[in-house]
Order: sequence, then structure tokens, then C-alpha cells
Amino acid sequence: MTEARVFAIDAGGTMTDAFVVLEDGRFAVGKAQTTPDDESKGVLRSFEDAITGLDGDAGAAAAGLAATIYSGTLMLNRLLQREGEGGIGVVTTAGFEDVLRFGRAFQSYAGYPYAERLHARSHGYPEPIVPRSLVRGVRERIHLIGMEMIPLYEEEAREAVGYLLDRGVRAICICFLYSYQNPSHERRMAEIAREVMSERGVDIPLYLSSEQNPVRGELPRLNSLILEVYAARPSRLQLVRMRERLKELGSPAPFRILTSYGGTVSPEHEWLVSTLVSGPIGGIIGANRLGDHLGMDNLVCADIGGTSFDVGLITEGHHAIRTEWALAQFVLNTPMIAMDSIGAGTGTYVRLDPVIRRINLGPDSAGHRVGVCYEAGGVDTPTVTDCHVVLGYVNPDYFLGGEIRLDAERARQALKEKIAQPLGIEPEEVAWGIIQLLETQMRDHLAAMILGLGYSPENYHLLTYGGGGPLHVAALSHGLQFESVLVPSWAAAFSAYGCACADCAYRYDRTVDKVLPPDGSGHQAVAGLLRSAWSEIRERLAGELRRDGLDPERMVFRPYVRMQYRGMLDDLEIPSPSAEPSVEDLDAIIAEYERLFERIFARAAKSPEAGYVVTKAIGVGIVPTEKPRIPELPLQGQDPAKGSMKGRRQIFWDGSWTTADLFEMDRLQSGNVVVGPAVVEAPATTLLVPPGWRAALDKNLIFRVEEV
Amino acid sequence: MDRRVAEDLIDGQLSWPQLKEILFHPKDPERFQVVMDILRERLGWKEPVLLPLAEHLYVVQKGSERVVRCDCGFEFGDCRENWKTKARVFVRNDESLLLEIYPQMMHSDPEWMELREFYCPGCFALLEVEAVPPGYPVLFDFEPDIDGFYEWLGLPLPSSAGD
Repeated sequence: MTEARVFAIDAGGTMTDAFVVLEDGRFAVGKAQTTPDDESKGVLRSFEDAITGLDGDAGAAAAGLAATIYSGTLMLNRLLQREGEGGIGVVTTAGFEDVLRFGRAFQSYAGYPYAERLHARSHGYPEPIVPRSLVRGVRERIHLIGMEMIPLYEEEAREAVGYLLDRGVRAICICFLYSYQNPSHERRMAEIAREVMSERGVDIPLYLSSEQNPVRGELPRLNSLILEVYAARPSRLQLVRMRERLKELGSPAPFRILTSYGGTVSPEHEWLVSTLVSGPIGGIIGANRLGDHLGMDNLVCADIGGTSFDVGLITEGHHAIRTEWALAQFVLNTPMIAMDSIGAGTGTYVRLDPVIRRINLGPDSAGHRVGVCYEAGGVDTPTVTDCHVVLGYVNPDYFLGGEIRLDAERARQALKEKIAQPLGIEPEEVAWGIIQLLETQMRDHLAAMILGLGYSPENYHLLTYGGGGPLHVAALSHGLQFESVLVPSWAAAFSAYGCACADCAYRYDRTVDKVLPPDGSGHQAVAGLLRSAWSEIRERLAGELRRDGLDPERMVFRPYVRMQYRGMLDDLEIPSPSAEPSVEDLDAIIAEYERLFERIFARAAKSPEAGYVVTKAIGVGIVPTEKPRIPELPLQGQDPAKGSMKGRRQIFWDGSWTTADLFEMDRLQSGNVVVGPAVVEAPATTLLVPPGWRAALDKNLIFRVEEV
Repeated sequence: MDRRVAEDLIDGQLSWPQLKEILFHPKDPERFQVVMDILRERLGWKEPVLLPLAEHLYVVQKGSERVVRCDCGFEFGDCRENWKTKARVFVRNDESLLLEIYPQMMHSDPEWMELREFYCPGCFALLEVEAVPPGYPVLFDFEPDIDGFYEWLGLPLPSSAGD
């Protein structure tokens, strides 16, 4: 047994996946049910599961770890269930106290399923995290170009702090208008707050928007500060506990968390709100690495998990970063890898609309309770997994490698009672129809995303992963003409694998909002501004690395700008050739912007006549870390290896039962070809090869799935 | 639907997340029956209640007649006729009357729109407010097709058997 080197964790709503990279480059995957009350339990169990699969000892394996990376939904759940830490006070520009409550119109339906978006009746705003009584306005005003219009009324500032302290707040967020252009008022406000606090002998943390998130948009800027205090800060304790438990097990490795922008940070990072969404991000990082290795520039990454279907695109080797999005109906402006999700996964509930007798999928799901087939889960509404079991795709005795026994008869009975009988058809046919419906929704979602960007599926390779990915891959790609279709044999833990591929990286965004006139007259000034912004950002990132005990000399600094045509609303992220840009470098940035704009939007929409606006200066400081190697194995014969075939099972396909060959995924060898109808089983996932399809395992242990 | 949830729904006691949950899902087939049972029990009338018509108002089977009745017991007569013709009306059609309920500058222009408040003559509960141009005919909200509705529900019409 060799030692483990990298341990990556993907703690989803249903399952906690472990991805363990070994000394010799091989890897092992483990799975355990998520334990929301104390996530460290599920995390350790999944690690043990991975190591036991190799007949190893968890403690001994942990001793060799060089890195542990966490991604998961810990903070997100805290926010969704409103179990964060309250007592947050807000100081803002007088007259803007209600900005937080007003929010933005799209918040009222952000994240809603399509049907509910259409009905104004179901729109609603989330209850603000900070009540109006804990928001105080102070007179001051900075102009949008950064000059002082109204000085800070210092008496009001003192009064505001006193007022909040009287009400027992435990942290104060300070967010003034345009503070990203001129932070002097926020800084003076913080000084005054410290004076008042020291007079009273209290010491609570202060959060300044100009320091943590100097980005245009007072609402998302303030929201991100509040979520940091409310959801991220208390989650740090859980993260630290995980680190402690791993240390007790013998792991000497640093414990890092995946951010929404794809780098990893330590639990001590002051801006953990950047890790609020990290689960699905891992898959994109992993796909990026896989694409690099295989020489595929354009990849569609489709992740089918227990609760959702997440799609991200890698185009010309890059994933897009989104800077405005909503989470739990709160608007945020922190950077996140662009992904789109629909609430359709293997745990999605299936219901029959009693009035119009139509089958509805989700949007809610059974999560870790699987479905009716899992009696202990206590679910009585059938789920997609119940359909899989009824159709014979999923082996009820081999779910999670047999750890959980599923009862096919219970699933059949539930489908029959709730859906099949009212419709007057057989349960198998209903299950088949439900799967068709689900796959149609997923396929439409995929096609819409690709076509919406001006590309077509022919330009892309489809990479499918997540526990449910291999089950639906054939139907998902049917009719879309992807260049090729890939299913890594480690699909079930692919997001965790992606985590293990993430570099240690900190990112800092800062609004610039400077115009570049078309005649080039602004180049000099903007280049100077970018130089100073990037040098400040670099210093800040170096500080983060020093705190983590890393040598800032090893940091690779990547400068980016976001820019747009003057007068347009959407900006694009462009890498800069240098962190100390010359006028020529700016020309190069503009040329790249023009190229990208034409590709993403349309040539006809280009409008350089009015010039450009550089909206943001962005710096990413990266310290490369050890990554899992992609396996390279010699090709064996096409016939499935001896001992890989486990028998035969009846599966229901397109109206009738047919006999499918059963294979054990781990026993298949590179070069083997599985011809449908066949089911390839692994403890954590199942690859379905329908009649008329074949799946060839390539030298990288990736199934290439195609229609014959 | 659980009876307690239905009671909270009627009383407006559900939180927004609970209410949203109900709105997002298809209406369960028993809901009408559960809600009607609660309403009938609360009203305690010996004649069967056929339908809730609006806040405070119900359609009741009284002998062979279907009448609109306020929860205080006042009867507006046949449900095929507009109950508003029997209600007390208060019209706000000038600035001073509008300023009783609106802040300065926040009310409508009485030349363009007036507010007609309909009160129950029995208990003076506010039953409805119309916001219409002056001179506009009184609105007849709707005439319920009660037989059709029960047929659609697949439920028998409540009879006066309990009398």
C-alpha cells in the first residue's frame, strides 16, 4: 500500500466524495453519505472508504498527505437554512439605508424554477439578514469619479457606532457609495468606530467594503460583506474542525478550500464568502486539466448529481468568469466560474399533477435520502433513482458498493400507486417516460447553453460526470452531434478530482471604470492606473500567501482586466500580457477583447467607435500545487477482460425488457469495448450502454461513448 | 393538506417560505374539503356553506336558494345578483377624503379615479374596495358556477340534510 498524497473532498447535499491521489499517481475514490450536523464525520468516512478500497489503513495513508482540499455546500446550507450568525450592524451613506431591503427586482425570482418565474404570485424577496433597525446612515458623499462632495459628518459617525453598539451588534459592515473609487471616508469611519469602541471597552470586527470587495454596485458589495459575517465566518469553525480531525488521523497536510473562482484558500482567509459555492466548480477545473491533457479546447462539462444538473463550458481552453449572480436570492458580485444549473438530478422527486395529470419533475429532491427504494430514508414520493431501479439500470444490491440496500419492489409499488395507476399504464412504462422527460430537459438545457453562446455542439466534446452522469450520457448526447462523448471511469468523484487539480490561488477584483477613447488618448493614463492597481493587488496577495506559510516568491501573478465597449453593459475578462502594461500592451488587450467579443457575441454588434471602458483590474496569485496524474495505460484487446463480466440482467428499454450484459467497471481494461445493451457497474456509479451504443475504455481510463 | 397548516393558511399565519412551498406545488385534491370543513366549523351555521366568495362572504344553501352571507350573519340575497347593491358604500372622491388614508401627494387624482368602499350593513366590516373612474358602473365580481365546480371537484353538493 503506497501512501496517499492528495485528498480532495466534495461534500454535496447528498454524498460526500473523496478523491485520493496516491504516491505512484494512481487514485482511489470513496463515497459516504453527507453528515450535515458535523461534516467532518462524512469527510473522514469517505476517506476511509477510499483507502479501504485499496486494502489500506486510513491512518497510515493519511501520514503521507501533502494536500487536502475541501469543496462543499456547508456555507451555502447555513445561508439557505438561515442558520448563520446574526447581530450584524451596517453603516452606510445617509439616504441609502433601505438599499439592502429594496434589493434588485430579479432577486424576487432568482433561482426559481421556470414555471414559478412566470407567476408574479410566487415572487418574493428574502427576509433581509440585517434588519432595518441595525442599518444606520451617516451623511457623506464621494462622487463616482472619487472626489469628495460632502465630507464625512463625524458626529453622526460616532452616533451611528454608539447606536449599533447599544443594540449589541457583534460585527459592523461599513459600505459607503463609491468607496471603491475613494476609500477615505470608509477608513475614517473605521477609525471613529475604533475610537468609540475603545472608549466603551468593546472590540468587534469591522468590515470595510473598500477593502474586502472594492467593486462597483453598493448592493452586492454590501451583501457580500454581510454574507461573509453571517455564513462564512461561522463555517470556519467546522472547517477548522475538519482540519483538526484529519490532523488527529495523522495528516500533516495543509487544509485548503476551493473558491468559486477555482483557486484554493486557507480557512484563515478573511474572505471566505468566495468559497460559498465550490461544489460544482471542481468539475470544471478537472475538465480543464483533462482537456489540456487530451488536447481538447472546447468541452461541455455536464455534472449530474443527486440534486441538480450543472453545466459549464470550456471554450478555447478557458472557462468564463461571471461577476454578477444571485445566491439564495441575494445579489453578489464576487467572481465565480460561469455555470448554469437546473434542479434535475437522480434524487429529483417525481409527481403527478392531480389536475392536469402531467408528470412534474422536482425542482426539489430527496437528497441523501435517495428515494422510496431506500426505506431508511423515509421518503414516500418517488424519485428518479426509483425509476432507475425499476428499469433495472441500477443494481439495488450494489448501490454505494452495497453499503445501502435498495428495495426495488418498494420503488415499483410507489411508482405504481402514485403515478402509473392514475394514468392507467404499467410502472415500467411510467419510469421509462420519466427518464425520457428528464433527459429531454437536460438535453434542452445543454443545447440552449451552447447555442446561446453562438456555438454549436459540433464544436464541443461532451464530458459527463457526477454519480448520475454515466447513466444518462447516451440519451444526453443523442441527436446533438458532439465531437466526442467522454465519461471518466472516476466520474462519480470527478468534482473531487477537479478539486485536487486546483492550484492554491487568491484572486482580488477592483473596480477601475476608466474610459479608453478610440483615438488612444487615454492609454497612457489607464496604463498607469492599472500598473498601480496591480502592484497593490500583488502586495495584498503576497500577504495572504505569507499568512499561509507559503513563499510569495513562488507566486505566479496573473493580471486581468474586465472591459466592455463604452455604453454596453456586459464586460469580458481579458488577460493582460504584463502586470506593468505599456501603451502597446493596452493595444494588445483591446485586440484580444475585440476577438473575444466577436466570438461570444456577434461581429455586427462590435462598436469600437465610442471607445472602451476598463471596468476592473483583477489579479490572481497562484502557487502551483501537486496534481493527480492522468493515467496512461497500455491498450489491451477489445474484448472485455476476463472476469469483468458479472452476469446478465433484464433492463427495460424502449417498451420492452431486454437482456443486458453486466460488467464490473474496475475490472475492465484499457482498450476494452463494451457493446450495448450493457450495464457497467462501479460502487459509486453505473454506466448504461443502451442497445445500439458502445463504450470503449481508452488508455486514460476514460470511456468513449458512441452510437454505433 | 394538514388541517393545522390549512388553519394557518386561512388565518394568514404561514411564513413566506411555507407559503411559497404550497404555491409551488400542485394543489392537493383534498385541500378544498379540508378548508371548507374548517370554515363550516368556525361559522357554525346550520345551512351548508357552498363556497367562500370573498373575505367575510360565503355562498350558503338556504332552502332552495343560494344566498350570499357575511360571517356576521347579514344576508345579501341571491348569489346571482351583485351583493354590492345591498352593501353600504362610502366613496372617496375628493382630496380631503383621500388624504384621510394617504400621505400628501401620494394619492390618486379624484378627477380620474375614485375609491368605493363597500361595507357590510350588519357588522360594518370592509368587504371590498373598487378603484374606478368616476361614473363607472358598480363591478359585479363574478357569478360562480357552483354546480359545475362541484362536478369538476368530483364532490357531492352539500345538502341540507343536517337541518
